[in-house]
Amino acid sequence: MSAKPIKSRDFHQLSSVWNIVFNCIAGAFSLLCVFPFLFVVLISFTDEGALARDGYKLIPAKWSLEAYKYVFGTGDTLLRSYGVTIAVTVIGTMVSLLLISLYAYAISRKSFKYRKFFAFFAFFTMLFNGGLVPTYIIVTQMLGLKDSIWALVLPLAMNAFYIIILRTFYITSVPDPLIESAKIDGAGEFRTFLRIVLPLSLPGLATIGLFSTLGYWNDWFNALLYIDNPNLVPLQSMLMRIETSMQFILQNSQNSSLSLEALRSMPQDTSRMAMVVLATGPIIFAYPFFQRYFIQGLTVGAVKE
Amino acid sequence: MSKKKKHFSLLLTTLLTISMALSACGGNNNTKNTTGTGGNNAAATNTTTDAPDTKPAEEPVELIWYTIGAPQKDLDKVMEEVNKYTLDKINATLDVKMIDFGDYTQKMQVMVASGEPMDILFTCSWAFDYVQNSRKGAFLQLDDLLKDQGKGIVDTIDPAFLEGSKVDGHNYAIPANKELPAQEVYRFNKELLDKYNLDLTSVKTLADLEPLLKTIKDNEPEITPYAMVKDFMPVMPFDYVIEKMPMAVYMDTKDYKVVNILETPEIKEALQTVRKFYQAGYISPEVATTTSVDDLYKAGKWFTDRAATQPMADNLWSASYGYPVVSTPAGQPYIYNWSVMGSMQAISANSEYPEKAMEFLNLLNTDPVLRNMIDSGIEGVHYEKISDNMIKNLPDAKNYDMPTFSLGNIMINYLNEGDPENKWEEFKTFNDSGINAPLLGFNFDTSNITNEIAAVQNVKEEFWAPLMTGSVDPDEYLAKANEKFKAAGLDNIIAEAQTQIDAWKAANNK
Amino acid sequence: MGKIGRSAKDIMRNKVLLFMVLPGTLWFLFFSYLPMVGTVIAFKEYRFSRDGFWASIIRSKWVGWDNFKFLFSTNDAFLITRNTILYNTAFIVLGLIMSVLLAVVLSEIANKKLAKLYQTGMFLPYFLSWVVVGYFAFSFLSSERGLLNQLFGSHISWYSESKYWPFIIIFVYLWKAVGYNSVVYLAAIMGIDKSLYEAAMIDGASKFQQIRNITLPLLNPIIIIMTLLAIGKIFYADFGLFYQVPRNSGTLYSVTNVIDTYVYRGLKTTGEIGMSTAAGLYQSVVGFVLVLASNYIVRKFDKDSALF
Repeated sequence: MSAKPIKSRDFHQLSSVWNIVFNCIAGAFSLLCVFPFLFVVLISFTDEGALARDGYKLIPAKWSLEAYKYVFGTGDTLLRSYGVTIAVTVIGTMVSLLLISLYAYAISRKSFKYRKFFAFFAFFTMLFNGGLVPTYIIVTQMLGLKDSIWALVLPLAMNAFYIIILRTFYITSVPDPLIESAKIDGAGEFRTFLRIVLPLSLPGLATIGLFSTLGYWNDWFNALLYIDNPNLVPLQSMLMRIETSMQFILQNSQNSSLSLEALRSMPQDTSRMAMVVLATGPIIFAYPFFQRYFIQGLTVGAVKE
Repeated sequence: MSKKKKHFSLLLTTLLTISMALSACGGNNNTKNTTGTGGNNAAATNTTTDAPDTKPAEEPVELIWYTIGAPQKDLDKVMEEVNKYTLDKINATLDVKMIDFGDYTQKMQVMVASGEPMDILFTCSWAFDYVQNSRKGAFLQLDDLLKDQGKGIVDTIDPAFLEGSKVDGHNYAIPANKELPAQEVYRFNKELLDKYNLDLTSVKTLADLEPLLKTIKDNEPEITPYAMVKDFMPVMPFDYVIEKMPMAVYMDTKDYKVVNILETPEIKEALQTVRKFYQAGYISPEVATTTSVDDLYKAGKWFTDRAATQPMADNLWSASYGYPVVSTPAGQPYIYNWSVMGSMQAISANSEYPEKAMEFLNLLNTDPVLRNMIDSGIEGVHYEKISDNMIKNLPDAKNYDMPTFSLGNIMINYLNEGDPENKWEEFKTFNDSGINAPLLGFNFDTSNITNEIAAVQNVKEEFWAPLMTGSVDPDEYLAKANEKFKAAGLDNIIAEAQTQIDAWKAANNK
Repeated sequence: MGKIGRSAKDIMRNKVLLFMVLPGTLWFLFFSYLPMVGTVIAFKEYRFSRDGFWASIIRSKWVGWDNFKFLFSTNDAFLITRNTILYNTAFIVLGLIMSVLLAVVLSEIANKKLAKLYQTGMFLPYFLSWVVVGYFAFSFLSSERGLLNQLFGSHISWYSESKYWPFIIIFVYLWKAVGYNSVVYLAAIMGIDKSLYEAAMIDGASKFQQIRNITLPLLNPIIIIMTLLAIGKIFYADFGLFYQVPRNSGTLYSVTNVIDTYVYRGLKTTGEIGMSTAAGLYQSVVGFVLVLASNYIVRKFDKDSALF
């Protein structure tokens, strides 16, 4: 089953000169993107004193693990934050994929009488929102989600942007006749959706799944709003909190008591970079899971039988 | 048309009513929840006395307290002890929630606007602005509570704090008893001072620094002579209507005339000095975008800078940098609105137990046991006593490191190991030396000119840092900036400020 | 009577699909539509009241359009609007070209392992917050220690020369966004029926003819949708990009001040939520009108690709 598509891709190959050119383009851009990240990793392993003395250097004068020791010194907070982030990301991605794929499917069906209404209903929310305070009230007072993991999951569960992209994927990658013939065979909407539409739209679903995973992983704002309990704070939120607080303290250094007291416990540059590394590292490993759907392509032929 | 409008407002009211009804239910559930979970300890001690005929007043109250600072790992552990103490003293327990410095303003704005249940909250001049939020109705007016439950506070803290933090004649928060005036000093890296045998006695103004800076520049190419950040502003003889905005009155004003400082000879002269320093290379060429010179401090690669001081600050600086730092005054210790309002605890307008909250604040500001427990944690865990009033941090202190200045009266705190015995006397002397700035007690109400403020604020951010740090030529840019300020409506703000100041002056017999 | 009967019949006929949109609809109601009621703050001078938010809204004073005035009454109004629109237009056009180009390039690379590696790399900038990107840009552009000045032996004071910044901003945006956006196009290419390419090969079409005649036309719908959605956000600017990356340097405001940074700076002292809500409403309404107009044009040419 897998042999056939690979063969069909062989069909589809570039001349070797162009292959090299394409590799160069992609490789160069990729390098440009990786470079800063390498820099961050290097700084995190630089000795704090050397950094203050020489500034950012590609090869640090003195290596050090102090930054990581400092970050891990905060003890179980870091591990717990990882736990929260992973839980929220996994639950959130599943919930949002479910909600989004159903909604997008319905509004992709030409036979759905209210598709325009519901498409507009979703789209409208992309542009208009009620602002922070009303949303906060709905989430905390009406839904009672304050200090709960669902306050991190639900606000990001739907997203009109993803719905509209996924709808486009459904429309373009699933030919209408295929659905009609399934209908004639007596398959209901759900069956058609599960058996025909979903398998054919895997690249689209993987895209939305990836976006949603990254969205959850990187989200810090919902935690800032809805979480008071330090045990429920996700990783990015912890990172962001330290980052903004540091900027804030520096900007208010005219205030003597603030600068004298708060500056002393501030993390160093290197520790902050170490936190970036720790916050980003794991999700990069999750990436290949989605990636196979949009690099390798699908065994489309097999599904369509 | 009007029919449509009617329809719309009808729809709106319906929606509002529905959501209000819903949020009311939700709100109730919420309070029940908090008392249910957070008050576990209290409930445990109380179940035995929970007879049906107990008066509700005798039930312990749980106070929700939002305060500033990085959340501490051992907070719950310490609070358990604190609650035992407060339960005993005032029949109340605390649910403390800490919000870090950078998030505090934004989070409190959302929570207060949405009516989140809370009793006590931190406010000040630099985070979750005290004056504005008092005017918007965020805090309870405390005049009566202060006479009653807060009597201890009135008796203990420096009266200048309560007097200076009145907004439109009323108190809305309890200021922390700490350093009252603000004084600027020039700080020096003592090693360099000694190396070149430089004399500080002649240094009174910015211009006096010139020969010292020159010596360093000529002999120490690796050193930044003046470590300056983009917020820098020369010491000027003005009291500002709004901090770092160009409306001000002269410090020695008699008639309280609001001037545009960009048009004064003083600013021109001061900026020419800074410009000279900049061109001579005493200041980093990138000062206009530099927010921190922490790396210079860490590496000891600076010679002088200016900072706000407090008693014994030299010791603290030297200790935190790891090399000696000395300082000499750059100005008088003035008592400003913002220095009086440097750290306060307010009672929320929607507090369910305002009397209890005041009772607690009273205890916090007068009872050394409670104050020290909240500040330093548990004896034997976070600190140990080395004498009656002096403590030493234990290794676990890093799990409970609270921002001392934010938690009420600092002058009943234990001394830390190494502090001089007369630390708090020094503070009192320093406070007594303070001179009232002319606008102390006057709080500008911006609600009539919000549009102008928004526009002027943008102009200010555009021109301020380059101008004040000498990055651009003042002869050219002062006029340019002034022109843009005026176009943005600076004159309207000055006129409004003048009207308000005149009214305030008349009311207070200034 | 007949009308109601017909509606009921319609609902019954569509009940499965209606059931599918139900959870999402509830979500939108709670998280989007209900909070929209709060938009009335834009027309109020908001003051707190003891009884919570809704009571505060009702008791606050109506001020009509006053909260919107600060967006238009200054000399900067034109500048910030121009900057916002021009940058976003550049982002939309260049971002689209580069994302599609990269997606096509990646899909054609023979060695799939390498392609995966490249793509993973392109994604990394997405993970760095603007604050960190700002530090990084500074390590390049700092006039004293910056890599660029060291490399070329120049003494350019990057953070005070506004002429470079339109390019820097666009470059940094593309650097951060293109890898992310290209995933959508890459996935769309993967969804294309492979038999189309096989047929083209048999007809003797070259690789580039295939790209032009198969890949690009089939990408059209998703390109149109992505562009329409981007147009809706044309009045919004990415705050971090315009604030953190230029280090909030005053001398660069003529090319870095956009609506979002203007509002942020302007409301820092007064903190009027009525005014910030008004600014958001203004941005939304303009975006909404633009999308409706573009959508109308798209419908004229290609009914299936339109948003609704």
